[in-house]
Amino acid sequence: MMLTIALPTGRVFSDAAEMIAGAGLPCDGLASPGRKLVIEAGEFRYILAKPSDVPLYVSYGTADLAFAGGDVLLESAMPVVELLDTGAGRCSVVVAGPRSQAERFRGHASELMGLKVATKYPRIADGHFSARGVQVDIIHLHGSIELAPKLGLSDCILDIVQTGSTLRANSLEVLEHVCDVSLRLVASRKSTALRWKEVQSVMNKISSHVKEKRP
Amino acid sequence: MVNRLPRGCVNVGGELASAMEECRRIFLSFFENWGYSPFLPSGLQLLESAWDKLPSQVRSRLVALTTPYGEPCCLRGDITLAAVAYLASHYAPEEQPLRICYCDRVYMKSAPPRTSIESFQIGAELLGWEGEGADAEMLSLLLRVLDALGLERTTIALGDSTFLQRALASAESAAAESLADALRKGSLPDYFAALEKGNIPDFYRTILSAIPRLRGDISVLSEAEKLWGRGAPLSALKTTAATLESQGYGNRISIDLSLARDPGYYSGPLFEVYSWESGRSLGGGGRYDRLLSSCGLKGQAMGFALDLEQAASLSSFPSRRSPTMAWAGGLSPEEALRRAADLSSDGTRIEMNWNGDRNASLQAAEKRGCRSWVDLASGTAFTLFPAGKGVAS
Repeated sequence: MMLTIALPTGRVFSDAAEMIAGAGLPCDGLASPGRKLVIEAGEFRYILAKPSDVPLYVSYGTADLAFAGGDVLLESAMPVVELLDTGAGRCSVVVAGPRSQAERFRGHASELMGLKVATKYPRIADGHFSARGVQVDIIHLHGSIELAPKLGLSDCILDIVQTGSTLRANSLEVLEHVCDVSLRLVASRKSTALRWKEVQSVMNKISSHVKEKRP
Repeated sequence: MVNRLPRGCVNVGGELASAMEECRRIFLSFFENWGYSPFLPSGLQLLESAWDKLPSQVRSRLVALTTPYGEPCCLRGDITLAAVAYLASHYAPEEQPLRICYCDRVYMKSAPPRTSIESFQIGAELLGWEGEGADAEMLSLLLRVLDALGLERTTIALGDSTFLQRALASAESAAAESLADALRKGSLPDYFAALEKGNIPDFYRTILSAIPRLRGDISVLSEAEKLWGRGAPLSALKTTAATLESQGYGNRISIDLSLARDPGYYSGPLFEVYSWESGRSLGGGGRYDRLLSSCGLKGQAMGFALDLEQAASLSSFPSRRSPTMAWAGGLSPEEALRRAADLSSDGTRIEMNWNGDRNASLQAAEKRGCRSWVDLASGTAFTLFPAGKGVAS
């Protein structure tokens, strides 16, 4: 029976594809998939999906395994088994805003009550602030988050940051670190229960490749 | 007029409802034949009675409310507690062991990927037996009833909370909590990070390092035993797995020693049921002796619950044959119903049709997907194949 692996399109697709090739898994056609969304190679079927949909495919058992960003996994809160932190695509989830907001974040939690936070991660934002007992107004945006404070839509943003250059270009600075995220290898609970040997074999191959690549 | 339901609530009808009813009937009748009494719990539970006794994962998702009498309650989030409390107060100790089965709705705050707050549970519990046999009985009956429901492509992943808890007992409580939490969440990177940080004796560190990969067929138990050496806390699980294997269910069970459910609640073998056709677990259960003792009962408690809606949608019943349409054909209602009753006495499922026109009645039968049509007046019968190609019989 084929093992189905979901891969996120976009920013981290090349990392995931490189890891599959580096681990020695069959991957004909994966380097340049064109418009194909399903690619079969040997005993593997790869499905190319929007990053935010990947945890769903795994959770419903449509995909046995997948590569997914830590931010996407946290936001989806889907029940999956996280097998491996590949370390690829490492970045941080942070709260960022104009310098004028920095004082509020240095003070007592009460200073933050009613803070307007623009984000494409409403669940992470809610979890982060409510864990501290801070009630905030979360504004769910789907892109160009950095615009929100500039246009007065929000006081700050919660987003992922890799180098910080986008923040700087929009006169924003990191106010609070939320968590570190990276590309993870995940599996469906069903597949870890019913197809553990195959899942473990893929996990071991990817893990060896990741270790080899580490400086 | 739009009859909008409250968010998270669900009406079930059509083929799925028929399949669920069929599954419910088969399930309850199967367990009644094995001495399990049906139980119909109250829809509400007092918070003061439920709070301390429920697993923390259930507790955090309860739907709380106040009754018209002003008592703080929750909608029934779990049937086991109600069943145990009922049995503890209605039966004398010498009547143990007690066996019950049930089918009812439960209500809990939704958790991804589900969006509904209500679901249907079918389950069974065996309470108060002190010797061997209860675990094997429950799991063996579970496998048999899954077969009876047409769910042959299911596997039970078996673990044992004692194995994990004994290994975790060697760690400081904060580290043990982090490790158990990481397993429950299903995060191996978090698990290994917690293991690295924790101050754990080498012997247990080796076992804890191996736990996430101690999954697979029954041979995993020997591997775990070799790792632990003498006194490995696996005897209950080994006996149960061996019994199931001897019954021919070896290919329907897998071992997963990383299976972690609420450690304060489960106290021995525990399991999840998976179907090859679905990603989500169909349900699960395990040994929960602590709840029993907190309700004043002695001995072991073993039980499970399955999601009836999921079980029914995966069973073979949704595609079962549609009924026979019985056309009154101008007979008086009294006579038509008498003849229809004769027809259904052998178990034929029928649906009455009072249409005055024969062709209209036939067309209605085709539209409703009936497999056959009978003229009660003349006794003529048609087997209806797709696209209305009737064959007289």
